[in-house]
Amino acid sequence: MKFEWFVASRYLLSRRKQSFISIISIISIAGVGLGVATVILVIAVLDGVEHGLKERFLANEAHIVLRLIDNGFYGDYQNKIEAIEDVEGVVAASPVVYSQLAVFREGSEQIEDVILIKGIEPEIEDKVTGFTKFVKGSYNFQNDDLIEQARLLNNETITGGIVLGSRLAQRLTVNEGDVLRLVVNMTEDKFSPGAFIPVIKNFVVIGFYESELTVYDDHITYIDLKAAQKIYNEVGRVNTIFVRLEDAELAPKMSEEIEEAAQFSVLEMPTTRTWMEKYAPLFAALELEKIATVIIEALIILVAAFNIASTLIMTVMEKTRDVGMLRTLGSSRGNIVRIFMIQGSVIGMLGTIAGTALGLGICWLLSSNVARPSPWFALGAVAILILFQIVIVLRRIMPHSKLRRGGLFVFWLLVVCFGLYCFVVPISLKELGLSAIYQMNQLPIKVNWFFVGFINLLSFAICWLATIYPAWQASNLKPIEALQYE
Amino acid sequence: METLIRIDNLHKSFYDGDIELKVLKGVNLDIHKSEILAIMGASGVGKSTLLHIIGTLDRPTDGNIFYEDEDITAFSERELTRFRNDAIGFVFQFHQLLPEFTALENVAMSRIIRNTRNAVDKDGIRYNSDDAYEKAEILLESVGLSERLRHFPNQLSGGERQRVAIARALVNQPKVVLADEPTGNIDDKTSEAVLDVLQDINERLNQTFIIVTHDSRLSERANRTVHLVDGKIAD
Repeated sequence: MKFEWFVASRYLLSRRKQSFISIISIISIAGVGLGVATVILVIAVLDGVEHGLKERFLANEAHIVLRLIDNGFYGDYQNKIEAIEDVEGVVAASPVVYSQLAVFREGSEQIEDVILIKGIEPEIEDKVTGFTKFVKGSYNFQNDDLIEQARLLNNETITGGIVLGSRLAQRLTVNEGDVLRLVVNMTEDKFSPGAFIPVIKNFVVIGFYESELTVYDDHITYIDLKAAQKIYNEVGRVNTIFVRLEDAELAPKMSEEIEEAAQFSVLEMPTTRTWMEKYAPLFAALELEKIATVIIEALIILVAAFNIASTLIMTVMEKTRDVGMLRTLGSSRGNIVRIFMIQGSVIGMLGTIAGTALGLGICWLLSSNVARPSPWFALGAVAILILFQIVIVLRRIMPHSKLRRGGLFVFWLLVVCFGLYCFVVPISLKELGLSAIYQMNQLPIKVNWFFVGFINLLSFAICWLATIYPAWQASNLKPIEALQYE
Repeated sequence: METLIRIDNLHKSFYDGDIELKVLKGVNLDIHKSEILAIMGASGVGKSTLLHIIGTLDRPTDGNIFYEDEDITAFSERELTRFRNDAIGFVFQFHQLLPEFTALENVAMSRIIRNTRNAVDKDGIRYNSDDAYEKAEILLESVGLSERLRHFPNQLSGGERQRVAIARALVNQPKVVLADEPTGNIDDKTSEAVLDVLQDINERLNQTFIIVTHDSRLSERANRTVHLVDGKIAD
């Protein structure tokens, strides 16, 4: 390969026109590089969004929910929870009475809404869904001052405290200390058979649940586990067990293990749902988006590869006589093929490496909150550097030499890096007014190293394939015809 | 005199659609070792075609060429490429130097090709793979260009370029050097200098030359001159 490398490298670094690298090679390298950088960047953003959403969801979501269907309740749930917590990889499990109830505001006869009620033990629930972190106000369901006050004021049977999702509370226009009336059951009216009257329990609003995730804040309410059990006349029993895992990604696999460990009887067999199943449509949409993006981005690299192919075809045309001479001197068709394939592959490889560096660099800049110089300072600095360069060129301060060309290359590389460092800053979703939609304050970036490796290989492979035709075309030149080519 | 190349009833036709254009119509010619043979003829008579076929750059329509009794017309493409690298040097009217390479690199090129090839050969014969530049330097010195080793072709004069081309033809110690109008593109004074170099090498190294020309001064320097007339060698 020594001969082929020798010729190919000279064609790449063509000195004939006294340029550091022939301009056409630079354009090809830039084409591939920009393609690769874009892919890495876009996928990092998409991955970042997915990862950010997951993190947000998982912060207050049980990884696995074991729920008895048909309003059934587990008897000895303590034993089951202990057994589940003994499974390796399980952080904690909590007993929950999970139900949907209609709600009245105090003094109103109109059903306002149907809400999700979770009857929990705050301390245990905290280990599974980080409950207490998100509560504004109190979560002491039994002995809060507000409950005492309400009991005094209303002289009503107050069952206990209730924590409302913050957006739900806004919708119902209730404040701390207000009483909410929950329809827990219906009983037949003794006086008019066939008609039903609601059984109502009163709860005092003692706090608000604010996770900034609309899904929760809009729908969910928390009451004490014992209160919930009483509502259903299921004292000492629960209908749902929430489980948190060390690694949420293992949920599908772990759910079977957990079911086994809890030793549910045939009648108590729960429906098991992982967080992944719950959010499947969302993550499937994100995944689809990512696949579409990868395809589009692969097309960008393909375009860059066409660029390489046309560069090489032009080189072959320009070097036709050289190829004729090399063949005359005794180089084989294989030699010629390799010369042009090496040339194209080197372009592809340099482009891929440069693109990876650029893409990762921008990813880092977009996720680093280090303070940057002000844009005006940066503009000024870059302007001075450009002036400096113009002076060098006009006044011929430095003689033409390899060192000068190399020096200027490094110099401009640093200028570009500095410019990027000053101007590429994290994108604030808050300022763009998107933080509510994406549930995040800053555009998240997550580099998937496996994908970066994959894109590198893909880009290099496409570039390599692009070299085949021009190289083959060059090797097919007949020596005499090539020598006489004008 | 010992025969180096024997050309036996060589025919070459070119086709333009169905029309056959017969260029060589039965060339018979013996080329002796260490001679300078001049092939003369009017332009378009097929001198260059004959030279290309002798140089394995083209195949004859019919007939055989023997190099030291070995029939090269039976060689495969691969064998021809290898043979061309080992046994034949070329000098063209337009020097055909590679513009991206220095004089030294241009001269060394075919030896680098050979060394690269032999580096992967399994036939036991290995050449010192670093001797290309050494050889090239000696040859450039011998054609009077020791001051021009690192110059690119566009930094050399016409005569210098042609001398580089001659040095390049010699780097693999070929059996024969084929020159196609080597003085066709340079002025008279420079031509003389180039011819001096050719003659000097012929005498010093016993190098065989076949020169195609219509320059009568060149044929004066040749040991033997043959004329190609109507596709055949006229005696």
